[in-house]
Formats: sequence, C-alpha cells, structure tokens
Amino acid sequence: MIVLNFIIKNILTQAAVVVGLIACLGLLLQKKSIGEVVSGTMKTILGFLVLSAGSSVIQASLAIFGDLFNKAFGLTGLVASIEGINGQAMTDLGLGSEIAITLAGIFVVNIILARLTKFKYIFLTGQALLWESTLCVVFAYFCGLRGVPLIIVGSIVGGAFATLMPAFAQPVMRQITGSDDIALGHFCTIGYMFTALISKLTGDKSKSTEDIELPQSLSFLQDTYLSVMVVMVPFYLIVAIAAGPAKCAEYCGDTNYIVYMFLQALQFVTGLYVLMAGVRLLLAELVPAFQGISMKLVPDSKPALDCPVLFPYAPNAVILGFIFTTIGSIIGMFITPLMGLPMILPGVMSNFFAGGTAGIFANQVGGRRGVAIGCIAHGIFIIIIPALLSPMLGQIGFVNMTCTDVDTVFTGFFFMIIKSIMSIF
Amino acid sequence: MFFFKKKEKKEKKETAPIVNRDELLAKAEEKLAQLDGKEGQDRVAILNELGSLYTQAEETDKAILYYEESLSLNKQHGKASTDLMKLYNKKRQEAALAKDDEKVKEYMEKVQGLMQMSKDMIRGNA
Repeated sequence: MIVLNFIIKNILTQAAVVVGLIACLGLLLQKKSIGEVVSGTMKTILGFLVLSAGSSVIQASLAIFGDLFNKAFGLTGLVASIEGINGQAMTDLGLGSEIAITLAGIFVVNIILARLTKFKYIFLTGQALLWESTLCVVFAYFCGLRGVPLIIVGSIVGGAFATLMPAFAQPVMRQITGSDDIALGHFCTIGYMFTALISKLTGDKSKSTEDIELPQSLSFLQDTYLSVMVVMVPFYLIVAIAAGPAKCAEYCGDTNYIVYMFLQALQFVTGLYVLMAGVRLLLAELVPAFQGISMKLVPDSKPALDCPVLFPYAPNAVILGFIFTTIGSIIGMFITPLMGLPMILPGVMSNFFAGGTAGIFANQVGGRRGVAIGCIAHGIFIIIIPALLSPMLGQIGFVNMTCTDVDTVFTGFFFMIIKSIMSIF
Repeated sequence: MFFFKKKEKKEKKETAPIVNRDELLAKAEEKLAQLDGKEGQDRVAILNELGSLYTQAEETDKAILYYEESLSLNKQHGKASTDLMKLYNKKRQEAALAKDDEKVKEYMEKVQGLMQMSKDMIRGNA
C-alpha cells in the first residue's frame, strides 16, 4: 500500500516519468535488448525535459511580445505556434502525462479502426499525432473530463481523426499519386480539401504549374530556424517601435529597447529550437515502436505519410503554394481584427509545409490559376480558423499563441460542439 | 501564369505500351547492356528507364536497385522518387505479411529517408 501510494504520488504524477514508461513499454513490446530499453527510456525522459525547457523560453519571450503588442496597437496579437501550445500544455498546464498516454491511445484506436473498418489508414507522422493528442487532451480537460475518462475520450476522438482525415484526402491523393497505395498523414487536411474545392471552381486543370520554369528550391528556407528568425525579428521590432521606449522600459531596463526586442525575437527562436529538439528526442523511441506494432497488426494498411511524400509529384506547385498561401495569410492577418478577433501572426514553416501541400492539391484539380486563387484562400483560411478558436484557448490559459494545423483546430471545435450539446441536457 | 517562361513541351512519341512481362524484361536486358561505360546524366537516364521497366515487370528488388543508384547520382524530383516510394511501400507490406519485423523497419526507414531527401531538395539543402 505504501509502495502503491509512493508510485501514484511520485511517479505517475511526473509527466517525464510517465512518458518514459510508455517508451519503455513500446521497446519491450518490440523485444529490444535491456540496454536498448534503458537507453531509449532515458532518452525519452530527457526529451520531455528538453521540451519543457524550450517551452519556458518561448512563453517568456511571447509574454513580453504579447503585452507590448497590446500596448502598441490596442489589439491582441497571437503567434501561430502549435509547438508552443504543446509545450505549455505539457508543462504549465500539467497535462504532460495525459498527452503522452493519449498519444499511445490514439495509436491504439487508429489500429482498431483500421482493422475493423474499410478505412485502412495508419497515421505515421509522429509529430502531427503529438499535436492532435495535445488538442484532444486540452479540450477534453476544458469540457470537464479528468483522468481515465479524459484519456479514453481523447484517444477515441484523436484516433478517429487519425483514421478519417487520410480518408478525406484520399480522392485527391489518388489523382496526385496515380494509385491508392499511399495516404496523407498531415493534420491540415481540411485546409487542403478547402483549397482543392476553391481551385476546382476557379481553376483550369489543363495548365499545370509543372509546365512552367521556376527555381527548383527555396534557398532561404535552407535553415528552418533562420527562416523563423527572418519573420519574427521584424515582427518584434515593429512592435517595439510602435510601443515606443517608454512602454518597453518596463522590460528592457537600461538596455536599448530595439536591441532588447531583437534579442527577445532570438529568444523565441531559441526556445523553438530547444522545444523541437525535445520533441524529436521524445518521439524518437515512441513512434517507431508503435509504427512497427501497427504495421504488424494491420499488414494490409495504407500508410498515411507526412506531406513531403507529395513534393516530388509537383515541386513547382510547392513553391507557388507557399508563396500564395503566405500572401493569403498576410491578408488574413488584417481581416481577423475586423472580425473582433485577435491578430494572428502567421508561421513561416506552417506556410511552407501546409501551403506547399495545398499548392499540390490545388494544381491537381485546378492548374496554375487554381493554385493562385485556391492558395490565397487557403492562407486566409489558416489564419481565420485558428483565430476563431483563440478565445477558447485564452480561457484555458494559452495566452499569446494559437494553433496552426487546422485539423487540430477542428478537433477543438468538435469538443466545443459536444460540450454545448451536453450542456443542454 | 503570366510571368514565367513556359517549358518547351517535348513531343511525346506515340509508342505502343509494352504490357507483356517478357517483353519488358527483354527491353531491360537491352538497356542493361547499354549501361556499361555510361556516366553522368546518360547513366542516370538509363538507370531510370531500367527502374521503370522493372517496376512494370514487377521485379521490385531490381527496380529499387536501379532507382536508388539513379538518385544517388542525381537527386531530382520525378518518377524515380515517386516510383521508389511506392516500391518501398510494397516491400514494407510484403514484410508485414511475412511478419519480418526487421524488413518492415528497414523499408519504413527508407521511406523516411526519401521524404527527408524531398524536404531537403525543396529547401536547396540536397
């Protein structure tokens, strides 16, 4: 009894330890050696702690940014960062254990649905599943669920999204890849299908993006964190200049306010770098374990893979999709305050991956014109949708940031609808 | 799109599609003989043709071999990488049905490697 109490109070309440135990289970199920089990478990625990450290740095930087943004413009400014949402949920909100267990639960539900239904899709993109698990747990918690019911409901909803989102995209995926063997595992699918719809209605399929000559790469994206810096530094400096030295003095003290905010922008990038290093370490043992198990249990499954699987089919569409999505997201950034919602500052990496993939979808059904119009619409869509969720995120405790991947936002909407229905009874 | 130069579309030669497996393999043998001494883009072009012929003939291992060599010489988005992804998936599925965990892991890692290459190429890191 004393031992059990010790385990419950000191081990199961520690998210880092719970995460390590899940990795340990996965490694044991794969019949790994003792050495591999121990090292994999320790690396996973370390990953969680690194993630926590990165999250603290991001939140500290965004707290200053958010306050000065409000003082400068009289508006709420939110940075679109699903990574930041995940970091804060796992640490400050104390939901790390639930998120980790729900992640495992999502794998299990995905496997069950793939075995029992005609939707034979196994979602293999580990990071995306972590974001989905985060939103499922956060909103299940917001709906009043706790403990085992929270984990079960979160796993069922997340597992359903993991199985059905690839199915939703598959009609267009079949056209792009020319086969039914591979599916898309990226939680921006609702955005892609919205883009395809706009493109189909406005485009001309006969004129493909691949018929024109474009540079074959976006070299300014060579380094992820340099790219984020290129976007965040101007945002922070504009806020500093607009707020003025008097309002910044509270934070910068004797340091010049422009220099201070420049360094705060770099702090944000640093926090993101550290957080993502933690996420990669965390998932490095968890995901292969469950992928291996799922492939064994559903051998006739269709793997739902990360969006770069589509890049070789239409590389020009990726570049144009990114450009037009960015244009659309800048337009969206100015629309949301007019709707009484916070201003959402777009994420460059989200615009690249989601925008690029949207470009491929748009090109398939609507050619170059479809890419231009569809992806501008996509850019506006991926700003407005997270903005609509931001009041609820604010109530939960997420200040200064909102989500990016729209399917995870719709997960939040789903829970809000269920909560509304339940409140009637 | 108004601002970009259009690629000159190469006229597609109309040839009867080869559907007979023996014909495909015979054609592949001819191409193999041409491979000797070839370097650079000429070699890559023949490797891609070999990969395509063996894919159609359902000689998955040989198709993978030639496509992998092609991409190691010349990383490029196109049929080699898209076909290779499907071939890796096919091998992964066969391994899963045969309950060969090591092979499942091997081909899943190859799939991840292809996707990383794809990301790197778009970013200009390849």
